[in-house]
Amino acid sequence: MAQSTKIPTLKAAALVNPMEGAMPGTLREGPRRVFVAGARRRVAIHLIERLLAAPEVDMVLGVDRGACPPALLGCDPERFVFATADLSKRRQVDNLFLLDRLRERPLDTVIHLAFQGNPRGYGVESHEFNVNSARHLLDASLRHGIEKYIFLSSDAVYKIGPRSDYKVREDGELNLDPDVHPILRDTIDAEFMCRAKMDRPDCEVMVVRPSGVFGGGVLSGVNLLFESTPPVLPVGFDPMINPTSKERLARDLLLAVFLHGKGVYNLAGVTVGPLSKFLEERGIRPIRVPGPALGLVNRMQRMLGMTRYHAGFHPKRLYFSLVLDDSRFDRIFRANAHTVHALARSPDPGA
Amino acid sequence: MLLPRRKAELVKPLLPAAEWDRVQSYALNDAGFGTDPFGTNPDLLGFGYAIGYWMHRHYFRVVSAGHEHIPSLGAAVIAGNHSGVLPFDAAMLAVDVFRYTDPPRLMRFMVDYFVYKVPFLGVFFRSMGQIPGTRRNFDGLVHEGHVVGLFPEGAEALGKTAAHRYELQAFSHGHVELAARHRVPVVPFGLVGAEEQMTMIADLRPLARALRLPYFPVTTRFPWLGPLGLLPKPVRYFINYGEPIHVDPAALDSVDVRTREVERVRDAVADLIQRGLVQRREHTTGSV
Repeated sequence: MAQSTKIPTLKAAALVNPMEGAMPGTLREGPRRVFVAGARRRVAIHLIERLLAAPEVDMVLGVDRGACPPALLGCDPERFVFATADLSKRRQVDNLFLLDRLRERPLDTVIHLAFQGNPRGYGVESHEFNVNSARHLLDASLRHGIEKYIFLSSDAVYKIGPRSDYKVREDGELNLDPDVHPILRDTIDAEFMCRAKMDRPDCEVMVVRPSGVFGGGVLSGVNLLFESTPPVLPVGFDPMINPTSKERLARDLLLAVFLHGKGVYNLAGVTVGPLSKFLEERGIRPIRVPGPALGLVNRMQRMLGMTRYHAGFHPKRLYFSLVLDDSRFDRIFRANAHTVHALARSPDPGA
Repeated sequence: MLLPRRKAELVKPLLPAAEWDRVQSYALNDAGFGTDPFGTNPDLLGFGYAIGYWMHRHYFRVVSAGHEHIPSLGAAVIAGNHSGVLPFDAAMLAVDVFRYTDPPRLMRFMVDYFVYKVPFLGVFFRSMGQIPGTRRNFDGLVHEGHVVGLFPEGAEALGKTAAHRYELQAFSHGHVELAARHRVPVVPFGLVGAEEQMTMIADLRPLARALRLPYFPVTTRFPWLGPLGLLPKPVRYFINYGEPIHVDPAALDSVDVRTREVERVRDAVADLIQRGLVQRREHTTGSV
């Protein structure tokens, strides 16, 4: 009898935890209750709309600084809640997990899309926000029994140059150069925080690195470049890329929400090709300037409001290829899309 | 696009119609925009092959033998000697393989990184299917069943001075290790003629280091004649391919085995060079 009432040690608890044995790519059981940090982002809005369209999703909590985006105002208030909070404040993050509506049925998944990536407005405040929000959100998720934590990183974390591989896998070399743009440093730091917690048996921590994302208003490097009037490229270079779209990214994130799996994954589009071909396909005519003049021309364009693309953020991007190899995500997640009821009948927008 | 299709059409007259058809029939694994995942562009391939074919046939007047040793399907490593200050030998080798294999096989070289830093040149090389020499790139090429060209002497061998003609430098072990890992054969080749296309007098190493180049050549004509001095002499090339060498998989586990296998490839290349030298002698004296 004494044995049956014995309190299990942490090690024993870990051994009996059902999460430990969850097969990657299998369906997570039960309805989902999802916390989306950074709900004002275009990708987040698209993701929330798709989550709410899925009957398996019980509730979505969207959090950001500022008001609820107009596109989400018409959502069913029973299933969607928007909360304004500063994620860099530990107390405010904690309070989000303690909302009355979550008392009976707590959240089980957190998607961190709140990383501020606007190089134009990057200062100490943004840096503090990025570092602290990544830390507090992850800590709070682990404390409040979240089963899955997904952090949206970027392909900019990879080191690129003339000796890059034709396809970069998840174990590709990271850009740890101390002189990189602070956003990149913060992104890599946030990734490392997640990686440090990846062996937790009770929470699947996942980092996804999407290639450039296309979509109206999306703040990704490639999209901002394409939205420039006109895009400015260096003479004599035409890197290979495989950008994705916000629709495909949202679908991939849905798969990440519904299926088991942890670790670092690349997410990319289906089409691989030279940058010039992607521009040509969209009827965009870039202007080309000698490489050393690129920074100056880009600065002038920004001053004149002709672009929001910042050439200094990832300076080698317009010179050297960066094609992500997302076969690992393909194998574990996309190959099992048919098991997710919400996605079974919707085709992959990139395929 | 840096080189519009119409420019590729401009050099079309350099190719016989049958060769142009062969270029058009080359099966490319289209990754979406007409290029394969490595960035090979069929239009530029036609452009490059047209110029290369003309040089192969009329400028270097290449004499080659042993094409039957190049597998018509599946991956293989083609390894041999490198020389001539500028890599015209690699270009002629690629043209030779493409010209005499059926279906045509595009030889993919593992290219030195500095090429990809140079505007236009890097894009041109990539569009011709030549990619930077990294292990993963090699893996990718072999995985997709390509013929991979390697110069185990390295780019430094291009900068050999005239006093060291036809002396093989030390071979790196990479090609044997990679061939063993992927269980693909190594086809050795010996190339004769490139050593004489430019006579290198000295290598200005400090300047090469400053410009981040593997060597900086001083030849009998460069830099004295400016860029024209880089034009090679129209010497005849002799290329011989040897029987495929199947590398002992134990090369992955033992340095001794690997060294032995590297020596096997090096010896085969040395024999093929000797064969080429004899052929050239016979050709010049008119005994053939």
